[in-house]
Amino acid sequence: MQTPRIDVRELWVRFGSVDAVRGIDLQAQAGRATALLGRNGAGKSTTMRVLAGVIPPTSGKVLVDGIDVRRDPLAVKRTIGYCPDVGGLVPRATPWEHLQLAARLRRLDDWEERAQDLLERFDLGAAAHRVTAGFSHGMGRRMSVILACFHRPSVLLLDEPFDGVDPVGVEATLDVVADARARGACVLVSTHLRDLAMQACETALVLRGGSTVASLTAAELVGEEGAVVYRALLD
Amino acid sequence: MSTALSWTELDRSVDDLRAVLRFRGASLDARSRRRLRTGGGVVLLLTLVAIVVPAYVRDAVDQQRVGDFLPILPSLYLGFLFLTILTASASGGGRELVPREQAVAFPVSTTTDHFGALLMAPLNVAWLMQAWGLLGLTAYVLGPSNLWASMLPVLVWLVLATALAQVAGWLLEWVRRGPHGIWIARGITTAFFVALAALIASHRLTDVLDRSPTVRILLAAAWGAGGEWWALARFLLEAVMATAVAVVLGAIPARWALHRTQREELRLESGLHPARPFPGSDLVAMLRVDRAAIWRSVPLRRGLLVLAFMPGLVAFSGHLEWRMIVILPGLVVSGGALLFGVNTWCLDGRGALWRDSLPASPNLAFVSRVVVLYEVLLVSAGLTIVLAALRAGTPTVSEVVALACATIVVAAQVVRASMTWSVRRPFAVDLRSARATPAPPVVMVGYSARLALSTTVTGMVFSGLALLDDWRFTVLLALTMLLWSSYRLARTATAWTKPDVRSRIVATVAS
Repeated sequence: MQTPRIDVRELWVRFGSVDAVRGIDLQAQAGRATALLGRNGAGKSTTMRVLAGVIPPTSGKVLVDGIDVRRDPLAVKRTIGYCPDVGGLVPRATPWEHLQLAARLRRLDDWEERAQDLLERFDLGAAAHRVTAGFSHGMGRRMSVILACFHRPSVLLLDEPFDGVDPVGVEATLDVVADARARGACVLVSTHLRDLAMQACETALVLRGGSTVASLTAAELVGEEGAVVYRALLD
Repeated sequence: MSTALSWTELDRSVDDLRAVLRFRGASLDARSRRRLRTGGGVVLLLTLVAIVVPAYVRDAVDQQRVGDFLPILPSLYLGFLFLTILTASASGGGRELVPREQAVAFPVSTTTDHFGALLMAPLNVAWLMQAWGLLGLTAYVLGPSNLWASMLPVLVWLVLATALAQVAGWLLEWVRRGPHGIWIARGITTAFFVALAALIASHRLTDVLDRSPTVRILLAAAWGAGGEWWALARFLLEAVMATAVAVVLGAIPARWALHRTQREELRLESGLHPARPFPGSDLVAMLRVDRAAIWRSVPLRRGLLVLAFMPGLVAFSGHLEWRMIVILPGLVVSGGALLFGVNTWCLDGRGALWRDSLPASPNLAFVSRVVVLYEVLLVSAGLTIVLAALRAGTPTVSEVVALACATIVVAAQVVRASMTWSVRRPFAVDLRSARATPAPPVVMVGYSARLALSTTVTGMVFSGLALLDDWRFTVLLALTMLLWSSYRLARTATAWTKPDVRSRIVATVAS
């Protein structure tokens, strides 16, 4: 069997007296997209932050592309592309300056053509040199997806990428997920929007209260029947 | 637009202000409340010290100085008004009691906002230092006789000047937010400074200041010291009534201003910033984003310009000696840190999570922030020194060394304190509005008091060392203090590199 690109065993994350994540297990393969579904406070974003190397796990084993997040978060950050759930943009920098900073720190050559292409695909070409503080919520989300994917990471972490995004942005994001899968990247999408998650992913993990309650295929979660199944898992 | 201001609205606004204050107070934990009480006690204690000590030490020192200070006191009272107007104008009318993004869900009226801005006005290091200075000098000049009575006119003046400054601040903000407002506001400011420079150049500034109506404050203080109660009571009654009128009237331009669009903020947010060449190193790339966060933020641009020029112009107008100039960098760098440095990670705002997910050493982000903070503080202090030096005559070697050492040491102290507080107590703040502050008001009071104390003491130590013939002792002390600041800064950097500490900071500022 193929080694999972993301391998999480018994992940616990504690903030003070609150357990945000309570023993999640998660395996995600290369070339596949997995959805993290669940209500607010289910632990989706915290799990994504741990995988991005932004939050250290309290306990458990977290391997991203074979690298232990706790031991070498910097190496993990070189591997992943991360779209955070909130904001994700430095308010007074332009999209181009974000891309320039990321390109510099990720040692990218010949990145400008791809960056320009992504900005056009996400309908942000005209705003490339405006500060992001003036962006709408949807524009900010689209830009965050660009920043996550433009260096072609082997692990793509998209946290609420569809939130408040218009149909053009949704389509472009679905294309990004499809492209990443096609080149063998592992994609993890955290969202509240079941229908869109099922368009983007083949499998889904449903979280509740910081724990995993089900692991399902997309086929089990689509349509009316899928909605009933999903609703039942939330309570 | 209706500008009617009814008693009902005023009454309601006062009620709303109480509710907003309770809302802010509810967010404080027991430790913060204790700190608040301690901070308030320290401010009160320092105020008493500023009054009592000069009044009673004057007999022990050279009485000649009383005669030196007496004629300049009315000008200093006027200077307080001028500087308070400048502060109110630079902060877009006045600071916010509740950040705009939090207040948007509540029906907070512009009058409540005005009252809140008035309450916030004294909560900064510049206001407090000037107030203590005026109280102390008046006490020194008039002596301990009926000290409480001689202080009353000065205290009332501090309140009246703050209320008048608020009115002027709102009016300028109203102009600034109007058509071509930014250029008109710049024109008004330039015209004022040109007129001031012309007065100085033509040696007529003293004549103009001698006719200042603030002479009455000194007279009233003297009436208090001399026991002329009726004259004092009449002055106080007039001043209190004028204060009440200014407080109420300020609500009108506040409404005018706050009902207009924030043009300067929108201009910065919608303007284009052409791409620059690819950065040559990781640090340059980091610095570029950090500098953009400062110079594209309205409150930081305005605040830094005011800080760079205001103390320098005062020193220029007041013909300060080199020994006094040594104290100025401390004031400037403290003010600069209070603009953003005390919560420096907030510059990343909601981009903090993304930025921390980039493959760069945490030390690099820390160094970049330290460098940016240093350069902003040193450039501001440098401009102040240049302006002050224009009329200060030729300094001795000891004075030059003391000034250079004081500037570098206070900058190091303030950077160290700022980075420590930024790591220890981060806040989610959007420094978009000219009225925003990097931390809640009560926290800012504590920060300003502590910075004022440490930088003033340091400035005074180096001011004293400027008298020594041997400047090497000054350099030795500066090196020792720099080493201590560097050691503590390194400890803060170590804390920042810990993943659990950094994740708390990043999650807080991005929330």
